[in-house]
Amino acid sequence: MEFNKILVPVTGRPVDDETMRLACQLAKKNKGKIWAVCVIAVKRSLPLDAEIKSETAKAENILDHISTVAEEADYEVETDLLQAREVGPTIVDEAVEREVNLIIMGISYKRRFGQFSLGNVLPYVLRNAPCQVILYHQYTS
Amino acid sequence: MYIIVIGGGKVGYFLARALLDEGHEILVVEKSPARTEFISNELGSVCVRGDGCEVSTLTDAGTGRAEMFIAVTGEDEDNLVACQVAKHKFNVPRTVARINNPKNEAIFKELGIDVTVSSTNIIMESIQEEVPTHSLTHLLDIRDKGLEIVELKIPADAKTVGKEIRELSLPPESRLFLIIPGQGKPRVPTASTVIQAEDQIIAITTPESEEALRTALRGS
Repeated sequence: MEFNKILVPVTGRPVDDETMRLACQLAKKNKGKIWAVCVIAVKRSLPLDAEIKSETAKAENILDHISTVAEEADYEVETDLLQAREVGPTIVDEAVEREVNLIIMGISYKRRFGQFSLGNVLPYVLRNAPCQVILYHQYTS
Repeated sequence: MYIIVIGGGKVGYFLARALLDEGHEILVVEKSPARTEFISNELGSVCVRGDGCEVSTLTDAGTGRAEMFIAVTGEDEDNLVACQVAKHKFNVPRTVARINNPKNEAIFKELGIDVTVSSTNIIMESIQEEVPTHSLTHLLDIRDKGLEIVELKIPADAKTVGKEIRELSLPPESRLFLIIPGQGKPRVPTASTVIQAEDQIIAITTPESEEALRTALRGS
């Protein structure tokens, strides 16, 4: 499989680093392009274009960090900060707009009410993605 | 404008779609998970699942910044409660409620809902406009004054044809303010204006005087 346009949604969790390294490895073969996106979910109590300084600063730090991770892997990525009501549809829209052929998402083992849960975003992306999706789970002992 | 629509049934869905097309920011609040998913798939991230009568749901929906709140569920009680919570708890400037049973219209007004829409009344008004047996058509209700603007067409066999307006026994609460003749230009009636067959008369009256006005203008 050849991937030359890869989208990597990041959230600031430790798994992001490994996910980005994997994306770099996959993109290198074909000199592909990687976009790292961080989505700020804006509550309905605020307008969509509201300036949420704390969240913006946090997201910018996440994207700066992920750029550094990519540089360490000897690769250059393009970063994008997005504001939206819901994260899942935004990732899918971004994938459609950029015509990517792969989305790589890092996941952690989350429990909700004692049960393993993928949350809302991942199932949405898996259902609606216009391309292949790789879920990367980082092993922690 | 940020508009919240309570109820994602057919009315809510098409209303949200139309308002989105007009460029408004819309949020539909719907109880049913299947319906919520349908609307989200069709219209994007504009639908949340929840009970529009609950304060917590409305808080999450950002009702505090909504400029208009429209409740169009199939239950009058839900529409009333949702609008009241929006009006009194979140100070939404404009609330609109759908009324399924026309008898509830008065209570909705009494309780401060700004605009009520009764599909039964709308259909009734259309029937009055389209079906000739209903000689008097409601054009506009001026509810806070207890007045209404009506239109009446003078049939060819009306006893008032050829009479001057001063000869008619019009109810004191009613005023005629425009006559649109079958042929010719509209004119403002005076006491000496003669009633002709096929004249369309626009009048202002009270609901109680409707029948007396009809009788006065048709002569029977």
